[in-house]
Amino acid sequence: MMKKNWLFVLALVLTFGIVLAACSEGSSGDQPNESEAEGSDEGEDEAASGEPQMGGTLTGAMDTAPAGVFNPIFYEEAYEDNILSFTHESLLSQNKQLEFKPNLAKEWEINEDQTEITLTLEEGVTWHDGEPFTAEDVVYTYKAISSPGYVEAGGIRTDYVVRLQGYEAFNSGETDEFEGVVAEDDHTVTFKFAEPNVTILKDVSFPIIPEHIFGDVPIAEIPEHPATLNAGEVIGTGPFKFTEMLDREQYVLEKNADYWKSEPYLDKIVWRIVEQSVMLGLLENGEIDFIADPNGVPAADYESVAGVEHIELIEQTDFGYQLMGFKVNHRSDADVEAGKLEPENWEANEDMGEQKIRQAMAYAIDRQAIVDNLLYGHGSVINAPIAQQFWAYDKNAVTQYTYDPEKAKSLLDEAGYVDTNDDGFRETPDGEEWVVNLNYPTGNKLREDSAPILQKFLEDVGIKIELRQPKEMTAYVEELTNDNTDWDLYLLGWSLGSGDPDPSGLWGADAAYNYSRWNNEQSETLMQEAMQAPEAFDQAYRKEKYSEWQSVFSEDLPALLLYAQNKIYGFNKRLQGVDPMPYSFINDPEKWWVTE
Amino acid sequence: MYKYIIRRILVFIPMLFALTIIVFGLSQLAPGDALTGKSLADPNVDPEVYEQQREALGLNDPIYVQYWRWISSAAQGDFGDSLIFNGRTVAQLIEDRIANTLYLGLFSLAITIIVAIPIGIYSARKPYSLLDYGATGFGFLGLAIPNFFFGLIAIYVLSINLGWFPSQGTLSTPGITGFEAFVDRIHHMVLPGITLGLAGTATYMRYMRSEVLDVLGSDYIRTARAKGMSDSNVLYKHTLRNALIPIITLMGFEIGVLLSGAVITEQVFQYPGLGTLFLSSVVNRDFPVVMAIAMILGVLILVGNLIADILYSIVDPRIRYD
Repeated sequence: MMKKNWLFVLALVLTFGIVLAACSEGSSGDQPNESEAEGSDEGEDEAASGEPQMGGTLTGAMDTAPAGVFNPIFYEEAYEDNILSFTHESLLSQNKQLEFKPNLAKEWEINEDQTEITLTLEEGVTWHDGEPFTAEDVVYTYKAISSPGYVEAGGIRTDYVVRLQGYEAFNSGETDEFEGVVAEDDHTVTFKFAEPNVTILKDVSFPIIPEHIFGDVPIAEIPEHPATLNAGEVIGTGPFKFTEMLDREQYVLEKNADYWKSEPYLDKIVWRIVEQSVMLGLLENGEIDFIADPNGVPAADYESVAGVEHIELIEQTDFGYQLMGFKVNHRSDADVEAGKLEPENWEANEDMGEQKIRQAMAYAIDRQAIVDNLLYGHGSVINAPIAQQFWAYDKNAVTQYTYDPEKAKSLLDEAGYVDTNDDGFRETPDGEEWVVNLNYPTGNKLREDSAPILQKFLEDVGIKIELRQPKEMTAYVEELTNDNTDWDLYLLGWSLGSGDPDPSGLWGADAAYNYSRWNNEQSETLMQEAMQAPEAFDQAYRKEKYSEWQSVFSEDLPALLLYAQNKIYGFNKRLQGVDPMPYSFINDPEKWWVTE
Repeated sequence: MYKYIIRRILVFIPMLFALTIIVFGLSQLAPGDALTGKSLADPNVDPEVYEQQREALGLNDPIYVQYWRWISSAAQGDFGDSLIFNGRTVAQLIEDRIANTLYLGLFSLAITIIVAIPIGIYSARKPYSLLDYGATGFGFLGLAIPNFFFGLIAIYVLSINLGWFPSQGTLSTPGITGFEAFVDRIHHMVLPGITLGLAGTATYMRYMRSEVLDVLGSDYIRTARAKGMSDSNVLYKHTLRNALIPIITLMGFEIGVLLSGAVITEQVFQYPGLGTLFLSSVVNRDFPVVMAIAMILGVLILVGNLIADILYSIVDPRIRYD
């Protein structure tokens, strides 16, 4: 019997040995690369200064397959955007300062009160099927988004058309006359808005779809039309054509040799769908060439990837942020039932409704430590919810909330929250036990990891935290929205658009996404003034208003912004000509080329 | 026999009906719907838009209205449109993926049987030998290692480091056809196939070993031996047939197990089959797709069990249905 057992143990040890050997083989495999990296810099510089060459194939990886709607007016996900960014173009695009610049439209003129903009289109631009691109295509695109039945068919981009003149009459079917966008001639198009429009340039920069393909298709059938779903039939004006796909595995883009800006250098760009945990391995062994939006290289892997000789990393600030929100107010049961957002009916949340408590919590949390340890330093601490890349961001206008537990404690003391029964935690001013609940969703590993850290920081200053079981996102959002519950703190992340910094969609009192149910008169006035024509036509004026708003936000603090994560793009050094925009890796891909 | 089969098939109908009610009820009880998750992706989209879409899709209707709408069209073979994959019908989505999953399932079942049954028999004939211990160790390990972990190790070692097998997807490039495509497909199936079949292999091996051992110790085998029957005759004519009965039961369930095991394996290998579709549909509350896949799984498991019952009567002449 002894002998049998011994043999069994031996067998187990052997098999585990194999597994462990397999693991350690991987880590030792990385070593030589790291040491080589130092000596390799010169060679790489030489390659970079070379002349662009024609030809070559580039392989990119994303971790989730696009849902498959390759039509700018109906797509919803960043994954489809990875393909549409190569195939479709807008009238205007944005430069690195996020100012709008000519694209399909070479110049434009805006009237005095900003109700009309006339754009002159590039001539000689053709669609992938050879048809000329004209003003009619622009009119058609905006008309399609405005049509009755667009939303019901699954469209969500109405934000681009709601300000157009006559939108409501056209959308409700009262009239067939679409007056919002008018083609003056083949290469001139005028947009007319019902009211003076502060975000006029953003509104005209939606990707254009071909009228000659979709013109006769009823709006409800566009999502299932072959030119929306099938590779080879998707038609745009961009530098690459979407020619082939192996559904949910590979998406092939081939160059559009007649591209109006210049002929692309690359022959082909292939997107492969690769499991997140395998991606870096494939980047290292050269099977894939780049990892970019939406997720990029995980911060935790930065060092190990940076050590690989043939990989270059670009790090830039992302447009998103993560926050710990305070439920300042709750809605009444009746309002939740009726789906109404009426700030005057809201009930202040006990304790969280108090500004001092919110501020104390902000001082109690060492956000820099979270950035340093959780994000390995690849992120930044911000204090107001406007993306740092925007002209409107003003880091000096805000209260900084540098980590200061003593200040947190004194603020709590001032507010009357003191430990009266010596259990290490503070009681409410009425002497009752004080427990603050912290709710968070699953789905973002870093955010999940941050929850217990936040709990620790807050308990260190004597606030008893009940860390709730994390919920899956869909279930979480439902409870977050229907806030007639007892929620106090919630974690959430937003990824912002690069078009305009107006924060009212997230922080306006009657905005659905204002999950804090924050209702601050000063903030309301400032946000409204910042969008008020005609003063707001002047960017300097808006900047001033937004900087005041940021100061109000950070003082009243409906949410503590935990961190803004950096985006890390990784690509093989054989790829040249990469010049990412603040909002996207894909910029002028016709200028990308590869050294062989 | 035929009567029995027809009777069994008639029983399927109420069972599947009950399945639709349970799955539909559960998927509606889960908080949130298909549009809740979407709504956080882009704060520039007015939430009112999603409310309009909910209304248009009938997601605000009472549950029995929704169920009736679903069952009355499903009964006519129309499983509706996906809520997440805008513009695609459920039938299209499943059609695109079901073949992949079936290939992978059959491939892994083949590996399982080819590996497990001979080793199981050998272990039983030479119990407590070195190979028996090796097989036992491997068996426990196979059962203990989670699929995804084994899959990742296999990818790391065999694909990334050694480069022997592709790690992701079903084909190297789109557009290849014929024999070349067939070989490429098999090449892509090796790693996911082994990963998916690992736990099955271990189970079958253990079953086979204990069944053969059991039968070998029984009276009629001793009698056969006493008659002077050769070892191989005893093994193949008398032992194996009897030992196979529980294996057949296992295989009846196996179809369902393979499909559900495929959920994780397919994810790791980005192998686009029903498993990944099922998982993402559950997470995204795409209930028309969830319902359709649940129905397919239900039918497969019922049919699998029926086939197992029929096979019993072939393997064991004492079992008769009438």
